[in-house]
Amino acid sequence: MNIFLKNPLALSGLIIILTILILALIAPIIAPYDPSFIDINSILFPPSIDHLMGTDGLGRDVFSRMLYGAQISLLVGFVAVGIASLIGVILGSLAGFYRGWVDSLIMRFVDIMLSIPTFFLILAVIAFLTPSIWNIMIVIGLTSWMGVTRLVRAEFFSLRQREYVLAAETMGSNHFSIIVKHLLPNSLTPIIVSSVLGIASAVLVESGLSFLGLGVQAPTASWGNILTDGKEYIQFAWWLSLFPGLAILITVLGYNLLGEGLRDVLDPKNKD
Amino acid sequence: MLIGISLVSFFIMHLAPGDVTSSEASFNPKASEESRQKLRELYNLDKPVIIQYGLWVKRIVQLDFGNSFASHQKPVLWERTDKSGNVTKGLIQESLPITLMINLLGICIIFSISIFLGTLSAVRQNTWVDRSITLFVFIGFAIPGFWLALLLMYWTGVSNQWLPISGLHSLGYQNLSGFGQFIDLLKHLVLPVSISSLSGLAGISLYVRNGMLDILHQDFITTARSKGLKESKVVFIHALKNAILPLITIIGLSIPGLIGGSVIAESIFAIPGMGKLFYDSVLMRDFPVIMGILTIGSFLTLIGNLLADVGYAWADPRVRKGLVK
Repeated sequence: MNIFLKNPLALSGLIIILTILILALIAPIIAPYDPSFIDINSILFPPSIDHLMGTDGLGRDVFSRMLYGAQISLLVGFVAVGIASLIGVILGSLAGFYRGWVDSLIMRFVDIMLSIPTFFLILAVIAFLTPSIWNIMIVIGLTSWMGVTRLVRAEFFSLRQREYVLAAETMGSNHFSIIVKHLLPNSLTPIIVSSVLGIASAVLVESGLSFLGLGVQAPTASWGNILTDGKEYIQFAWWLSLFPGLAILITVLGYNLLGEGLRDVLDPKNKD
Repeated sequence: MLIGISLVSFFIMHLAPGDVTSSEASFNPKASEESRQKLRELYNLDKPVIIQYGLWVKRIVQLDFGNSFASHQKPVLWERTDKSGNVTKGLIQESLPITLMINLLGICIIFSISIFLGTLSAVRQNTWVDRSITLFVFIGFAIPGFWLALLLMYWTGVSNQWLPISGLHSLGYQNLSGFGQFIDLLKHLVLPVSISSLSGLAGISLYVRNGMLDILHQDFITTARSKGLKESKVVFIHALKNAILPLITIIGLSIPGLIGGSVIAESIFAIPGMGKLFYDSVLMRDFPVIMGILTIGSFLTLIGNLLADVGYAWADPRVRKGLVK
């Protein structure tokens, strides 16, 4: 914990993420307005005391929408990466533990998935399902597990021949318990680091999709779809574009800093 | 490999509830169940999925990706000449060169700037130069490209009118001289190319920096220094050569990301490339075009990877002579 707090990268990342998390959690309390309340008397007001970040083309308060957008962005990040990590850990464990044809089969599948441009794949799937926040999380999860699979497999390859694994095997532990008790705990570091970095890219992808109108659908507020409005009013209302973009930038930066910091902290070579 | 890709892109299309007949017919209240059935038969949608896949693959190996459902039945891949000699250009044929041009320009920019930044950062490790480059790298990773695109559009296009913000050509493009046309095109490309190369730029600068740091601490660099070589010679000739070798592979691996990223850049700047075509087809549920682009995009990736492998073997004598795997 001490070295964690001493690492400036990890610490600043953590502070950013925690701040956003808290803001998102208390959004219902601190949001000054209902995020989808349409007020035709206050259309496109610039930022002021009443509306900290101005109002949008329907008179909705941008600050309130930003707070609720933070919830969406956190949710998408966590769930999508949860799905991806789960698939990646399972397939990677199977490939790394059993090797042979299981490994070849899984790695061929990974290669295939890697050679299809991911954003195309996501767009294609989403367009055919109805775009909704749940579908987006699932699709992002289903198209981003390949990195974790490779990591887990590589870790297992190097751990598989260690004495303690051989000992457990000789003593008759079944495969499942060897994987869960011995191999996975020892390959946790790269999984955690890549998950944190994965959240960052999931947040970017979600905002990109919502921006294109294929992500989170109105009236639900997401940073991406606030930006879509921002694009429409770019000549008159800079605040509609500036704030959501900054929010995405800071969030992604936070996850990246945290991920890189964790990599340094958790690497046993850097202990001293 | 190709078979796998074709399977994935085909079955994704069939995950979807509803088919083209539902969208084509829903715009037309007169379409009866009977005429929908006819449409399905026309596109073989009434057959079992496996047979549909078989038919599709059979056409694909002949490079026939079919015709677009929307866009006036234009062929998906390549031009077609009808009986009276009219040539209809293929959708991908028209849009792919534009996307390739943008991405190749992007790769050139990424290469030159990131090698410069990465090297500078490594040589001046832990100085303010290094720190500011690292900061730039982190921000480049985190910045949403479409947001930056919006800001740049606003700044250079709307408030200052320095650069055109949409399309590839200005009005009256045909009347310009050859050189004028070139300049016009270049002006239209500045924004999209810089947006699409930004995140790659950040990643590869970091990569070059780390590679350089690694190499600068190796024995042969110490040897070169102790021979009394000038520092610039050590860095640019001995170290850089080794540091940029892995870039060949990285560039190969980044192709799917670049192609995928072109969707956002091209739709924002209204550039008629493959990304925009894909986005439009997705909105229209234009199956043949979507499947065609998925397949072609993956195919390009494979070619990119192959070129990267060959390039690496060509550039690294150790690989060429079979000394390392």
